[in-house]
This record gives sequence, C-alpha cells and structure tokens, in this order.
Amino acid sequence: MTEALLFKDIDEPGLSTLDVYKARGGYEQLRRALREMTPEAVLGELEASNLRGRGGAGFQMGKKVSFLPKGTMDKYVVCNADESEPGTFKDRELMQKCPHMLIEGIVIASYAAGASRAFIYIRGEYVLQADILDAALNEAREAGFVGEDILGSGHSLSLVVHRGAGAYICGEETGLLDSLEGKRGNPRLKPPFPANQGLYQGPTLINNVETLCTVPAIIRMGGAEYAELGVQTSTGTKLVSVSGHVQKPGNYEIELGIPSREIIYGLAGGPPEGRSVKCWFPGGSSSPVLTGEDLDIPYDFDSMAKAGTMLGSGAVIVVDDSTPILDVALKVAKFYRHESCGKCTPCREGTNWTMKMLERIDNGEATPMDIEIMASVQEHIIGNCLCVLGDAMAMPIGSMIAKFRDEFEAHIEQARARNGLGAAAASESALAAHGAPLAGVGAQPAGPYPSEAH
Amino acid sequence: MPRPQPKTITFTIDGLEVQAPENAMLVDAAKHGDVEIPVFCYEPKLGNPVGACRMCLVEIEGIPKLQTGCSTPVKDGMVVHTQTERVKTAQSSVVEFLLINHPLDCPVCDKGGECPLQDITFGWGRGTSRFIEPKRHFVKPLALSPLIAIDRERCILCYRCVRFSQEVSEDYQLVLLERGAHSYVSTFDGHPYVAPFSGNIVELCPVGALTSRAYRFRARPWDIEDSGSVCTLCPSQCNVRFTVRDERVLRVQARDHDEVDDGWLCDKGRFAYQSIHVDERVTQPLVRDGGELRPVSWERALEEAAAGLRRAAGRVGALAGGDATNEEGHLLARLMREGLGSEHLDTVAGIAPAELHELADPELQATVPDLELAHTVLVLGTEPVRDMAILDLRIRKGVRRHGLKLALATPGVSALDSSARLSLRYAPGHDADFVQALAAALYGGDVEQHARTCQADAGELRALAELLRTGGEEVVILYGQSVLADPAQASTAREALLKVARGLGLAGRPGAGLLAVPAAGANGRGLLEAGFAPGYGPGLQPVSAVSDGTNSDSATQASSTPGAAIQAPTAGETPTAPRALDAHGIGAALAAGELSALYLLNVDPLRSGLPHARWDAALEKASTVIAHAGFLTEGLRAHANVVFPAESYAEKEGTVVHPDGRLQRLRPAIGRPGETRAGWQVIAELARRCGHDLGVLTGAMASQQLFAAVPFYAGLTLEEIGGRGVRWQERPAAQAFPAPPSERAQTRAGAPSSDIAQTRAVQTNPGANGAHPQSHTPPSIWDSPEVEHSPALRFLFRRGLADARGATVPADPETVAAAAAREGRPA
Amino acid sequence: MSAGVGGVPRYHGSRVPGWDEPADLSKDPAEVPDPASTAVPEELRAEIEAHMAKYPDRRSATLPALEAAQRVHGWCSPEAIEQVACVMRLTPGYLAAVATFYDMLETDPVAPHKIYICTNISCGLCGADELYAAVRDAADESEFNVRSFECLGACDIAPMASVDGVYVGPLGLDDIPQLLDDVRAGRPVLPDKQLARRLVADPHANSREYELHPAQPGSGPRAARPAADAEQERGA
Repeated sequence: MTEALLFKDIDEPGLSTLDVYKARGGYEQLRRALREMTPEAVLGELEASNLRGRGGAGFQMGKKVSFLPKGTMDKYVVCNADESEPGTFKDRELMQKCPHMLIEGIVIASYAAGASRAFIYIRGEYVLQADILDAALNEAREAGFVGEDILGSGHSLSLVVHRGAGAYICGEETGLLDSLEGKRGNPRLKPPFPANQGLYQGPTLINNVETLCTVPAIIRMGGAEYAELGVQTSTGTKLVSVSGHVQKPGNYEIELGIPSREIIYGLAGGPPEGRSVKCWFPGGSSSPVLTGEDLDIPYDFDSMAKAGTMLGSGAVIVVDDSTPILDVALKVAKFYRHESCGKCTPCREGTNWTMKMLERIDNGEATPMDIEIMASVQEHIIGNCLCVLGDAMAMPIGSMIAKFRDEFEAHIEQARARNGLGAAAASESALAAHGAPLAGVGAQPAGPYPSEAH
Repeated sequence: MPRPQPKTITFTIDGLEVQAPENAMLVDAAKHGDVEIPVFCYEPKLGNPVGACRMCLVEIEGIPKLQTGCSTPVKDGMVVHTQTERVKTAQSSVVEFLLINHPLDCPVCDKGGECPLQDITFGWGRGTSRFIEPKRHFVKPLALSPLIAIDRERCILCYRCVRFSQEVSEDYQLVLLERGAHSYVSTFDGHPYVAPFSGNIVELCPVGALTSRAYRFRARPWDIEDSGSVCTLCPSQCNVRFTVRDERVLRVQARDHDEVDDGWLCDKGRFAYQSIHVDERVTQPLVRDGGELRPVSWERALEEAAAGLRRAAGRVGALAGGDATNEEGHLLARLMREGLGSEHLDTVAGIAPAELHELADPELQATVPDLELAHTVLVLGTEPVRDMAILDLRIRKGVRRHGLKLALATPGVSALDSSARLSLRYAPGHDADFVQALAAALYGGDVEQHARTCQADAGELRALAELLRTGGEEVVILYGQSVLADPAQASTAREALLKVARGLGLAGRPGAGLLAVPAAGANGRGLLEAGFAPGYGPGLQPVSAVSDGTNSDSATQASSTPGAAIQAPTAGETPTAPRALDAHGIGAALAAGELSALYLLNVDPLRSGLPHARWDAALEKASTVIAHAGFLTEGLRAHANVVFPAESYAEKEGTVVHPDGRLQRLRPAIGRPGETRAGWQVIAELARRCGHDLGVLTGAMASQQLFAAVPFYAGLTLEEIGGRGVRWQERPAAQAFPAPPSERAQTRAGAPSSDIAQTRAVQTNPGANGAHPQSHTPPSIWDSPEVEHSPALRFLFRRGLADARGATVPADPETVAAAAAREGRPA
Repeated sequence: MSAGVGGVPRYHGSRVPGWDEPADLSKDPAEVPDPASTAVPEELRAEIEAHMAKYPDRRSATLPALEAAQRVHGWCSPEAIEQVACVMRLTPGYLAAVATFYDMLETDPVAPHKIYICTNISCGLCGADELYAAVRDAADESEFNVRSFECLGACDIAPMASVDGVYVGPLGLDDIPQLLDDVRAGRPVLPDKQLARRLVADPHANSREYELHPAQPGSGPRAARPAADAEQERGA
C-alpha cells in the first residue's frame, strides 16, 4: 500500500490556488531545494530516484538533466504539456487541479539544470488548464516563487505559458521546440539532442508535466526512498489514463509493476457486462496492441517492452469484442495521417498509403494481397523515419495485422461479398479499376499473390 | 574566424578502405571511394542537413538503426555498408513511397533525362510499384512567378526550394503550406515568388516540379551541350554553364565555385541570356548615313571609323564599359596610346587610377570567402543586391552560419538591414565625409563635426568603431568604389579608408582586408590592371611617355592641339607625364570641342550613370563617335557614327578580373551571330588602318600580350587560369605589383583631378543645385540593356522592381519611358 | 472521387484548397508589409507586441499573435496575417506556413462558434462518429463551426466535445439541442457535463494492495522501442 504522490488531495476544493496548495505543504520542497541544497545535490536526488520520463519514451530524467553542459550559456527548461497522445489525459488533470505542483517542479528542475528561462508548452485545446496555469503562475510570481532571486537563493527563473494551436507533432520534443520558436512544428534531425542544442540553439531540458510534477515528491522523500516504489527500473507511481470500453474511465495513480488486469478490471471496472477485452493499447494509440490474453503482464516499462509493446504515456485504451479490428486500425491510421508533419518521406507517404489501403479493405475493393502489402509498408516505415511518429502508426497497425490477420481477411471477403464481387474475380476487377501495377524492367511479382487470387 | 582544417581519416565503405576528410558527411565521404549514396533533400549549399527524404539510409556497424548518410559525419575507423539487403530494402522503399504520388510523366516532363528522381528510381528503386490507389491529379503547370512554373503533382516535398527561400536568400516568400501528405509549396495568398535570386530554386529542384518558364520545352538533355564560362553581367562574375542547342543559349546554370559565387546565380545572371538572341541585337556594322544608322559592310564601317580617328588627329577619347575583357581594354589602350597618341581613356567611373592604386594593394586584398568567414564585415557605400548581387547571399550566409558581425554604412536602406548588427545611414554624396567620420571615431578627431556634415549619427559611428576594433581581428570592408566617385573628394575618401584599414591592422592579415565593388562595371578591376586608365599603363604603371615613337606624328599633333585643358600644365605632376583626361575630362573636352572623336567600347555614356544632360551635349558635339555595342541604346542611336556589333558574353574569348583579383576566362559558348566579329579583332584591324600593327592574330595572342604587359601577371597562361580562375595575388609574380605612390599621393592630392577641374572650369555648371553634379553613380545591375531586352525579365521593368532593386538610385527616366513605350502604356 | 476543376472528376482522397491555385502575377511579391500602408487595430498591435516581449526571439510569439488575430478577424484571413506580419516584421508567407500547419488556426472563413468533436479512438469507441454526424445535422453552418477533431485529451468523458473551448461530455444524442441552445443563448454549456466539475475517478487507487510482479528476465517479442534508442519524450 502506497500513498498517493501526485493525486494527494487532488480534488480538494481550491487546490489550484496558492493558499490551499501552500496549506497542503506546497512550495516547501522548493524552499528546501533552493535554500538547503546545491544544484548538484538536487540532481543527485533526481538521479537516485531513477524517475523515468512519463511522456512516452521513458528516458531517465536525472540523466537528462546531467547531459546539459555546464557553463554560463543560456539554458532552458521546457515543460511538455502538449498532451495529445490519443487516450492520454493525465497531465490535464494535474494542470487543472494542481498547477502549483507543476510550477514548483519546474523551478526545482531549472535550479538543478542551471536554467534561467522556462516555458510550459500547453496544447491550445486545453483552454481551461492554460487559464488556470496562467493564474497560478501570477500567484507564484507575486509570492516570489518564480522570478528574480527566488527566495533569496540567487536562482532566477522566468516562466512563460505558451499555448499551442493544435498539432500532435508538437508533442515530439524537437517539433515542440520548433513550434515554440514560432515555426511549423517539424521535428528536427537528431543529433544534436536538445540537451546540447535545443531551444534557440541553447541547452534545453524537456520533460513532461507528470515527470516535473513528481520532482517535489522526490525532494521530499529523497531519491532513494522514491526508488523503493515500483519495480526494478520502473520506479515510483504512475498516472494511468484508462478509457475506451471500460465502465469507470479516468485517471488512476498506481505503483508501477501491478498486473495490468488490476488496472483494467480492478480499477476501471472492465468492459461493459457481457463483453470481454479484445485488445488494448497499454501506452496510448502509438503502442502495439495487446490482447485479452496479455492481461497478466505487469504494468511497467520493461515488462511492456518485453511483451513487444510499450508503456508510453500510460494511456490504457480498451477495445471490447464488439468492435471490428478494422475500425480500430482505421481510427489509428487516420489520426497519424492527419498528424504527420510531412517532413520525412516514409511517414508522410506511409501513413497516407496505409489509410488508403484500409479504406479500400473497408469498401470491399481489396484482396488478401493487400494485407501483405500493408504489413510490408509498416515494416518499411518502422525505424526509417526522422522522428517516431511514423513508427507510432506502423507499430500498432503492424501488431493488429499480426494478431488479427484472420479478422482482416474475413473482413475483406465480407466487404467484397457486400460489393457483389466474388473472391476470384475480385482482385482482377480491383486491379482493372485502378490500373495494373507497373511492370518495369525485370518486373517481378509485386507481392506474394495468394493462390485464390489467380 | 578559423578556417576549417580538414584532417584525413580512413573508413571502410562496402569493404573498401577509403580516405576522406574527417567529419565530412557520409554521402560526401563515400564519393572518395566511388560509392554513391542517393540523396534528394541533401544539398550542402542550403545549410545543415535536414534528413527529411530518408533516401540516404545506410548501415553503420555498431549502430542498430539505419542512419542517414547526409547527416552522419564520417569518423576514423567507421565501417559503412550501402549494399546490404537491409539498406537496399530501406532505400527502395523510400523510392516507392516517393513515387506514390509522383505522376511518372517523364515522357512529357522537362526534367526527363536530367532528373535525380528518374536516376535514383532506376538505380535504387524496386522497378515495380505496389501502389494501386488513384494518384493525385492537379491542374498543371501553374505559374509561381513570371519566371517559374510549378507542377505540384511532381513535387516530392524535399524542402530544397523552401529552404533556399528561407535560409539562403532569406526572403521568406516561398513556404510549405498545410501539413503531412497535404503539404505543398506555395506563397502567401497567391502572391508570385519574385525575389532577386528566385531562379535558383529551379536548379535545386530534384524533380520536374519547378521549371524555368523560359526554358520549358526548349530542349531535351540529349539535344544540348554545356559550355562553361563566366557571367560578365555584373562584377560578381559568377561561374556559369551555358546550355546550348544549335548555337543558341537556352539556359544558364550555376557552375559552382566556392570562391566566387558559392553555387548561386541571381535572376539577371540566370535569365538575361535571352538578350543574346533577340532581334534588337546589333549583328551588323552600322554607319550613320543621312542621319540614320544603316547596315554596311565591315570594310566600309572600318574605313569610316579609321577615317574618323585619323581626322581627329589625337583629339580622341575612349571609354570602356564593364563587360569589356582585359584583352579588349589592353588593345584599345594600345590603339589609343600607340596608334593615336591619346592618353584620354577611362572607364565610366572616372575615378583617378592613383586613388585606386593603393586600395588594390595585395596586402590589403580580401577575397569573397573572407566575406563569409570574417569576424566582422563592414559594407560601405554599396548595396550588394544592386551592385554585385551574389555577395548579398554570401554575407547572409556568414551572418547565419558563422555568426559574422555585419555593419552597414550606406546612404539608402539595404536589403541586408535585417541581418546587420549596425545599420548606419549617411547623406547621399557624402561618402568621403562618412569615411572621415569613421576614421575620426576610430583614431580620434572631431567625430561630431564629420558626422554632422554627412548627417550620420555620431553615437552609431562610435558603436561602429567599437565593433570594428573589438569584433575580432578579421575585418573585411566591402566598399563601393563609388565612395571615390566625387573627384574633389576622392583623395580624402581614399586616405580615410586606408587609414581605417591600416589602422585596424588589416594589411597582410589573412582573412581580412578590403574588397571593392567596382564602379566601372563587371570588369572594372581588369580594365585598370590592363592599362585602360588615364595616365596609367598595364600593371598600374604611370605612363611616362605618350607613345613609343612609332606614331610621333599623331603625338605631335596631339600636343599641338589647341585647348586650354589639354595644354594646361599639370600641377604637382612630373613634367614628363602625359596629359590624361579621365571620363569627366573627356566629356567636358568633347563638349568644349577640345576632343572631336570618341571611342565607346561596350558602353553608352547615357546609360552608365554619368551626368545625362552633360554627356548628351558632349556626344552631340563630337564629330565622330565609334561604338562597339550589342544594343542601340539611346546615346548610340542618337549620336554614334559607326557601330560595330559587339559580342555577347556567351560569344567572347578572353579574360576578366574579379574584384578580388581572380583572373577568370571567358570561353565562347556559341558562334557569333550575323556578321559580328571578335572585339579584339576589330580593334586590331582598326589599329592597322590607323597605321599601327598591334601584332595580334588570335584571341590567345591578345591574352599573351596582356600577360606579358602586366608585370604582376608574368608567366600566366590561359591554361593556368583554366576553368576555376587564379588569383594573381596568390602567384609569385604578385610581388611585381608596383608600390603604391603613397608619398606622392600625399603631396599631390589629386593631380590628374586638378587638370580635370580646369577642364570643367571652362564649362557652365548646370548642377549647382545638385550636390555633386560631376560624379558618376553606377547604375543598378538590374537597370541594363540585357535585363531590358530579355523577355523573361521584362516584367521587372513593368513592375518597377528593377528600380526597387536599384535602391538608392532612381532609374533613368528615359529608360523607364522606353520600357513603357514598349509595353504600350504611359510612362 | 470528387468533382475537379471544370467538372472533370478527379481521383484522390484528399482535396486541399490551394493545390490548384496559380500565383496571381498581377500581385507584388509578398514581402514584409510596410507599416505605413498596413493598418493594424491598436489593441491587436498591443497584444502582439506584449507577446513578443515575453520571448528572447520575437518569432516565438507567432502562435499567440496569430491566435489573437484570429480572435479579432474570426479567422486567419490574408488581412489578419498581413497585420501580424507587419507588427512582427515577418513575411506573410512565413505566417501562412505556420497558420496552415496548426488545426486550431482557421485559414478559411468560419462560423463564430466552434464545436470540436473528438472522433479519435476512445471517443470513437463510445459513439463519437454518430455524435458528430448528429451535431453536424443539427447545427446551422452559419452559426456553428462543427469539426471532427483528433483526441482532445478528455477520453474519460467520451464521447465529448469542446464547445468554444469548454469541454463537455459524455454527450448523448439527446444532449445536442440543449448544447446548441446554451451556446446560442450565451449560457454555460451543459453545466452538469462540464469537465471542470469532474472529480478524479479514484484518487485512492494507489492505496489498494497489489502484488508487484518484477519483470521476468528472458526475451519477449521484438522490443518496441528501447529506451536508450528513443531518447525523447513523446507528446503524451
């Protein structure tokens, strides 16, 4: 049994105001960190906590801070509050209900990083949350927790809430930086990594809201004690956003390492009566799907990676057996096609092509051959893109094809039947409608034609 | 700024051990081992790699994921594979992805045959497509600008063109709109992409999406030949490739030369080739007969010209335009000096060679790359995009990529203002005052007083002085020679400029120095060095005798010619020095009837920034005006007696000198049209008819003669100049550069000018209201007959954009009127 | 398949306005607007300048400035973009590139009230597509800018909508008339269904007893994304 770290008193009326937050012990850790600890000591606690980034990639936060070069150049802390991974809504809850915890975390992190400017990049759709953050920031400024010479420590920090305008890719850290610099939110080539050359070409620490909100708790508990929570390399508690076909959707703070079944059934109440889990995304729509058979996998970073998927942002989306897998795939593909920034080829074209193939399957104009092509397209996207958005579509789609191939094939047959196309004639007429594949020099069959197509 | 010193390392690619410069990107390093890694978006000229197209994925041992070769610096011991199944699959899948929306309309595509997408598809594609979905279809091609057509079906979104607009020319007009697969290249709200360097995007485009409207469907790659030469339409002297089909230039492309143009061209350089093949071009000798210029035989034209020159009996002046070659200048100078006994020869700039001499000292000479890599650059009295366009991009590059500190001191607003740390303004015509003010700010003196005179801000002047002193030791001053244009102030300006440069310790410091934008046009420097200057022979040597005696008759006649100006003893000059009139003196002497004939080598005084009314009167008064010309501009149409058809720059043979001292070679790309003959040949023939054999039978002989005549060109050959040119300052013979006559210059304070001043004194002074009625203002490079006569560029005149790029100088009203008349609208 | 220019059918799934548009050669190039000839409402200018002052590089204020201009003009019209360009000393092209990249910046005229209906996966599983179709049918286009939107980050109240920035859900089809009426009347939209009032599902979830399962050693299927390899935070 563990106490809630982030959700302690979360629904306390007025927690978003400075008075209530302070009454609950708020800004005490800021005072301790800035007054009693050196930046190195703060960094030491962060490193000892083994806290892994809560945004999706799960990179150790302390290590990230330590990557920033020492020196007097302008350094930046950027809080990634562009929470747009489908299924994820935990940062929203934190910013709306406990904005001061985020501000406190940012100030402490900036102290450890030696940064004097910080930005919270919040997605433009979160109007309420941004307004609350702005109000809290004003209170914090007036109380001297943000600004020049904070609490007489000599550490200064200017903090700006920057509102996005609706682009998923701005959640990718380098896309976010470009967007914050006032450009189109195209991801940048890495290296250089933001720790060396980030915002305005300066060393930049970028962390997710939940990660930064955890910082005061780590200072309070001490890194080592925090690391006692959870399992192995997945330390601490994690907010999980559960949604989809569950009876009690919402955010839950859990200790990492509990069985996934406990989250889906124990906390969220499982699918509606009479339904069972068909598949579920363990970490947002970018994570490869698991099935009802995988419910006993422990919910932590490493176990999910071993299961071929990822913990991601901690967004569990549950799909019950009433939903065709094609519908799920269409939603996922449509989303990533819409959100691809268009900078790199495999993602821009691959998401577009995948979407078209899925639509064709749905329209009854596809043949089983298309499943092969689609699977191969996903393989060609994975690992070949500039950022991870392409992979974010290709991995779940690939996993759906791998795990539900029979259903895809059945769907193709049914849709064709609906269109009045027989199995044998179908492929030829579909090809005739669009023109046959190009037969180039030394043409080979374009793909493994299934025998029934001939 | 420290220049990169590449270290050679050894790495392995496809099993081959290859030596390459350390930290070169893999795609470049691979070429050292004859391995090609395909790319679309990679173009080093555009800045840091973006890794967008993903075409160059390769396998590097020790790194689990495939890496983009365009962005991976090569390290010692690296082991790279480009032929593994994994790499091939990745590359072929990228081609497949790119072709998803590409129409594959190669048979009707202008790029077909020279298309990187086509080549890479053949080389690295899978040969078949699995994409059976319908492709996008759009209306095409569409106009993107008067010069460029866009075909959005073909676009593969490689980002090259928008990166050029945003990161090279920095005009931020061409952008990507929308997102993802919907992205497309466009401009704001349907505005055309019109900018001084817009044409470069056509050459950058790796597919047929951006095409030149002037070249579309004119030729296929197998119809054409490439011919390398140099563009002499402005002092930038960019290296170009002419695309030639059937003796016609159909296109101009960049022939990348890091030390000259950095691989870019301005739109004038790219599109003004059209003026080579227009009907307005003069292709036959013309002689004025019954008040009109009529086509005649060469024999008649040469005879008329020779007769006119003989009649003038030494009372001859000669002017040369900036696109004359060194050889033409040298031969014409010899004709004038040796054949006609006249020392009255000058470029239109009218700046005394004595003022230019010390500024051209090799010790003080900065180069074009220095503009990019210096710590600080001061742009003084010139607007690059107007005067020497390609330097605009070079300076921007320095600021953007190397943190160059840029200061501007100009009379008008500058396109570079937004890149500059400091932008100082001073009153037009007060260049000398400004340079004095700067010298005072640096080394003491009454800054306030000088600043008031030139209406500059004294505080800003001090800030500029501070920047120059403390901004780093490599300081380059790019100055317009027009700061020396006012004869009365030239010596002051020169002395102050030298004081600034020497005081900053720029002499002899690598990477620092002075770079002049010639006021005399593209080859202003070469003409001076070749001896086409009043009182100065080849190699900046003062002429001690008018002639070598072969033409004593004319010489005698010349000296006995009545005329106060010519006869006036020159104060402070050595007694043996010839009387030499500069451009202003020639004009005044013509008007005063003291000179009777004028030889115009590729120049029209009425289109050259010389005082218009004054020269109109001078030409009117001249009894003989002989011109080499490509176009009958207003001065020639009204006043020339004999017009020889001049070669265009694509037809010429010879050499020119870049403002930083690089001798570059022009090679004929096409045959001369009509009856046009080589310039050197006409001058030599004319000399023969005037009784003096110049001893030149071929173009190469003319070059040899020049190299022999200029001491600091000694030993130079055309082969040595080759395709990349050679800076004479870097050759041993450079030590033969004559010591600048600093002491003499100190005491004499504008000796030839005093001569001219007297000449001027005989005239009325109509310019009393203007600040400096005598001085020469170089016209904008965009205000030239070549621009005017190129159909593709005519829109610049129509829209007044040529004026806009002219920045500080209003276009000649008659030119505008002429352009207006052609367009059929009121001026 | 949709009708193309001149009624010629065209075959592509996605039509983007602008793809078929040539440049208007009678226009001048779109350079940084001249302050002398570009009128900017004083309040808008002041707001943009205040935004620019917050950042080390004025261009960072692009999104807030465009958002402000959109509030004034109703959408990012060419005029609005020119005004922003004038104040920020940027080219309108730069701003147009940014404006078209972001979903919330409208580059075509729209109705005053915006209703974003999330149709992404979680809401989709809970009937968002039907909801979207029904709202579209019920709402007058001249009054309401109804858009299907990607995940709005409120899957706990699926299916949901953002009505002029206010999150409401879960929405049933029978909520639609009330929702539209509230907007028209300027009342708070469906007050009982506003996200602002929702409590955390179970703040004490963590106080339950669980047996923690350490990750089992041994190889599973292909690792999705090794942490060291993906050194970054995804948007979450």
